[in-house]
Amino acid sequence: MILWQAGFRYLWRHPLQVLFAVIGVSVGVAVVVAIDMANSSAERAFRISADALSGRATHMIVNSSGDLSEEIYPQLRMGGGWRDSAPVVEGYAAIPEQPGLLLNIVGIDPFTERPFRSYSPSIGSQFDLSRLLTEEGAGLMTERTASRLGLTIGDSLQLSAGEERHHFILVGFVETREQISIQALDNILLMDISSAQEILNKHGKLSRIDLIIPDTTSGQRRMRQLQHFLPSYAEILPANARVQTMAQMTKAFQINLRALSLLALVVGMFLIYNTMTFSILQRRTLLGTLRTLGVTRGQIFAMVLIEAILIGTIGTAIGLLIGFFLANGLLSIVTRTINDLYFVLNVDSLFITPLALTKSMLLGVGASAVAAFIPALEAGRTSPRAVLMRSNVESRHRRLLPWAVTIGLFFMSASLLGLNVPSKNIIASFLLMFTLIIGYALVTPGAFVWLLKTLQPVSQYTFGILGKIAVRNLMGGLSRTGVATSALVIAVAASVGVGLMINSFRATVDQWLRSYLQADIYVTTASTGFEPGRIPLEDELVNALAKVEGVKFITKARHIRLESQAGPSELFIAEINRQGFDGYWFDSGDKDEIYKAFSESDSVIVSEPYAYHRNLKRGDSITLRTDRGQRRFQIAGIFTDYGSDRGRITMSRQLYTTYWNDKKTDALGIYVKDGYDVDQTVNDLVQTAGERQQLIVYSNSGLREASLATFDRTFAVTSVLRMLAVLVAFVGILNALMAMQIERARELAILRAGGLTPQQLWHLVIGETSLVGLIAGLLALPLGIVQALVLILVINQRSFGWSMQISIDPVILLQALGLSVFAALLAGIYPAWLMSRTSPALAMRYE
Amino acid sequence: MHKWAWTSLCVLCLVAILFITLTRVKVKNQPPVENSLTVAEALGSSEATGYARATEIREFVFPLDHGPHHEFKTEWWYYTGNLFDENGRHFGYQLTFFRTALTPHPTPRPSNWATHQAYMAHFALTDTKTGKFYYFERFSRSALGLAGASAVPFRVWLEDWGAEGDQLRTFPMRLSAQEGEVAIDFNLESTKPMVLQGQKGLSQKSSQPGNASYYYSITRMPTFGKVKISNQTFTVRGTSWLDREWSTSALGEDQVGWDWFSLQFNDGRELMYYQLRRQDGTADPFSSGLLVEKNGSIRQLTASDVEIQVLDFWRSPESGATYPSKWAILIANEDMKIEITPRLAHQELNTSIRYWEGAVSARGSFSDRTLLGNGYVELTGY
Repeated sequence: MILWQAGFRYLWRHPLQVLFAVIGVSVGVAVVVAIDMANSSAERAFRISADALSGRATHMIVNSSGDLSEEIYPQLRMGGGWRDSAPVVEGYAAIPEQPGLLLNIVGIDPFTERPFRSYSPSIGSQFDLSRLLTEEGAGLMTERTASRLGLTIGDSLQLSAGEERHHFILVGFVETREQISIQALDNILLMDISSAQEILNKHGKLSRIDLIIPDTTSGQRRMRQLQHFLPSYAEILPANARVQTMAQMTKAFQINLRALSLLALVVGMFLIYNTMTFSILQRRTLLGTLRTLGVTRGQIFAMVLIEAILIGTIGTAIGLLIGFFLANGLLSIVTRTINDLYFVLNVDSLFITPLALTKSMLLGVGASAVAAFIPALEAGRTSPRAVLMRSNVESRHRRLLPWAVTIGLFFMSASLLGLNVPSKNIIASFLLMFTLIIGYALVTPGAFVWLLKTLQPVSQYTFGILGKIAVRNLMGGLSRTGVATSALVIAVAASVGVGLMINSFRATVDQWLRSYLQADIYVTTASTGFEPGRIPLEDELVNALAKVEGVKFITKARHIRLESQAGPSELFIAEINRQGFDGYWFDSGDKDEIYKAFSESDSVIVSEPYAYHRNLKRGDSITLRTDRGQRRFQIAGIFTDYGSDRGRITMSRQLYTTYWNDKKTDALGIYVKDGYDVDQTVNDLVQTAGERQQLIVYSNSGLREASLATFDRTFAVTSVLRMLAVLVAFVGILNALMAMQIERARELAILRAGGLTPQQLWHLVIGETSLVGLIAGLLALPLGIVQALVLILVINQRSFGWSMQISIDPVILLQALGLSVFAALLAGIYPAWLMSRTSPALAMRYE
Repeated sequence: MHKWAWTSLCVLCLVAILFITLTRVKVKNQPPVENSLTVAEALGSSEATGYARATEIREFVFPLDHGPHHEFKTEWWYYTGNLFDENGRHFGYQLTFFRTALTPHPTPRPSNWATHQAYMAHFALTDTKTGKFYYFERFSRSALGLAGASAVPFRVWLEDWGAEGDQLRTFPMRLSAQEGEVAIDFNLESTKPMVLQGQKGLSQKSSQPGNASYYYSITRMPTFGKVKISNQTFTVRGTSWLDREWSTSALGEDQVGWDWFSLQFNDGRELMYYQLRRQDGTADPFSSGLLVEKNGSIRQLTASDVEIQVLDFWRSPESGATYPSKWAILIANEDMKIEITPRLAHQELNTSIRYWEGAVSARGSFSDRTLLGNGYVELTGY
């Protein structure tokens, strides 16, 4: 008991150190928790919403390239006798008065709903269906959604989907009788299929037909019959295909976020390690005394470990709290990124499970315990006599230094070797990256000493005896400075690595856009988002636009989504001339040959991510479901594309019209004649379109800016995480250096007594900490660059299949160095102030 | 003082727990017998204003009146029949199509799915030998050819259940329906003229004007065809009955349901009688019927002509409702006395509109002669 008291009394008397350690752990845990919550909330929101929308459907019939013709449905029911089938028309509509909010319109047939969705209006549900069926724009929503939009029954709302505006009339509330949470139906607008077709402009079309096919032999037989019955373009997919696709799409994105959040925790662990190592150094006399009094090694080991766990627990508890608030902020950023990149998702509340909390709690406390393990072992291992001697500790650290460097180098080489092994495993890649970081951290103290030695003459020459004292001091106190420097290096390097990666990525995308976007003006229909399945342009309008003065020529493009058993693929159909083809970057092959194949044979080009995810090479072929049945297409080339992380297939328009019946266009590239002003032509085009169809017209630079804005939004989360890691690092430096200087109070007092003026003492302390900051900053740069390389060449490549050019921005490097020195400087101020005020006699009387 | 504080705290907690527990416990009742819905209610539309009403006698025009009357809210085509295979095995069938208008003021809309007519259909088969009663229900909107009705050529259908007339004439009519393991495919001939029920087809159901329907029947249609149950097919012969009725509002406020009898006797005559029941269980004076002679001539029956005695009851294990299950009908003026027995007790359709509709056999006397017959009975509002 007295032992614990001795331990806690120490912590109690060093509140600042404890505070910093707690902050370190709590910020680390907070970041991990926040990312975890934001990720899982987004995922869960999608999952429950998708589940609720599928209801009890087991399968669905979809058209692999868009919508189904509604004619299939009566054939299915009348001729095929497929009773457990329900048509669905689905899409999104915006509320012009509330920008940014999308409502999911789900059009159903109340007459066939009963076996499928318990909450939707159906026959026998005692709901007056006549308004829903006969009034244009009539629909239902949950009471919650209605009150959020400020609607009561009978109210109407303006909706815009694509080019047109429609009235929605709320005729009732959706009520759930089953266990589906009301939240799943947030922002969902249930309508009769007729109103949904009218609002979404999907006349004659169905988004899908839901089916219930039992998982029995007879069910399977029915399914095979159904496959024969359906036209070749229709396909039967499992009902949960959407959820699976979603999970797949965002998997890499979420793993990356999680790994970056763990980086913050690793920095936090260094803080704990540092605090505990330090506390043991400071208490060596106490520990020695305790040992002579008969306290066993095990007891001391346990004491230190429990202290760390205590700090870890408090830090984790606070971290969970901060994490919760942080998650609220991150949730909207994560959701927006998912909306930008993948699909429409409405998440407005966090989802917290006891399991997730327990997991984070264990992670935080466990990380603290792991971090304190070596210091605790060390505290327990020292003999009672030896522990009383400070020099002993230092010399032991010196002896260990070569070992640490050797092990560190081994880790680093193992990691670099591992990273060179081709693999698609993202988690393993991150583990290897962490190994690299740890290896580097082990090497750091050695490198630190070496750098100090190198700097010593310089320092002495510049600052005289004080310079020499400072350097020797740091070298003498390696047990303290070494760990602090490692922590600092890791934190700064993380910020450098992530910063360089984002910068390289952005620079690459910018360059790519400059090359890829060849037309002067781009025109597309006002659809919700940039996803495939856009509303086509009216043919007459296309002709009218081509005749606008100043237009040299136009190229037509179309985006469609091909659904298949292996998930959706984006198909981009374009008229690309030879000049425009130069804008494409290919990884290999002769451009002329590729162009010849692309424009003259049954060949397509696919984007890098597409090829990566499907293990495709140039010359391979892919099978696509066309309107003429399954067809094989050869891959003429693999091109760089950052437009979609799932990848896309690009096909010539001529080839597309050979195999598909669709002749529509949803985007135009417009080339302006020489001597005409692009902005003026944009105006003319908008004038020509007028009331006919609502268009989005971008100039080349406008589209590039818009694309880069999306890019920046995508990396907003990453930037936030980077900032947080830096914050932890900052706290870490403060903690380590401040503690080091405070511990040296007696030593400095002797110097004071020996004639050091308070001003000189200031110089000495600040000089020392700045030196640590500078060296740590310098050491962080190589690691940061290597980390950036790993992120660019390994992690991004393996997560998304993107290859990018590496650009090392000196600004980021200088920023990191500045940050490091600044934090170190700041860390010196308080101890310097404290010691310059204390009379040397008082400080010396300490012992 | 402390003791008291603790004690009162404990008491408070107990009270709170008790309160919470009590409010969460639901008293489990006997499952209530659900009230029956009208056809319109079942199809999700109860508003009756704005539709045409059966207020006066009208001229019936055929074949036009075989088709739908969209200006009225509710309409039905009601086929029932008793059939036997070559070994005398009995089957009863019911195939009914209900139409409901969803709005009296349809507006044209671009979507092909937009509709203002909804259809419901019931298909039931009684297999007396095995004691099995099969029934199915379907709904659809009248759009994309999924359901609908037309007069020339005659057709009423809901997906692949339907009644279809000859290209130009209404007869012979083909009836077909299949669902699950049961299917029927019949040919119906016409041997007797149509009869108009009530006052020249205006069937007044209560004193309030407009609470009436237009109502005609084809009381005897020789039928042959096939009944399929699982993988067994039976070739059957017998007679069918068609009731056609359209209205906007039929029952009065005090009326809760009706008992409808349709009987085909071996002497070539038919009897239809419906008894409207009031809330208190008594027969409404607007109850009415018709006796059709072999040559097709008719005699109207009113409530005072007919006495119905219920001889037995049957309680449905599914719905809990109790239905009369055996009757004696006495028509003193005609010197008729008939005892009616269901082929099976369990012929309840627990569909959105819950009712009992089943094949019955009749045995009785007319003057001194023995009378045998088959028929259908419908019991609603129980």
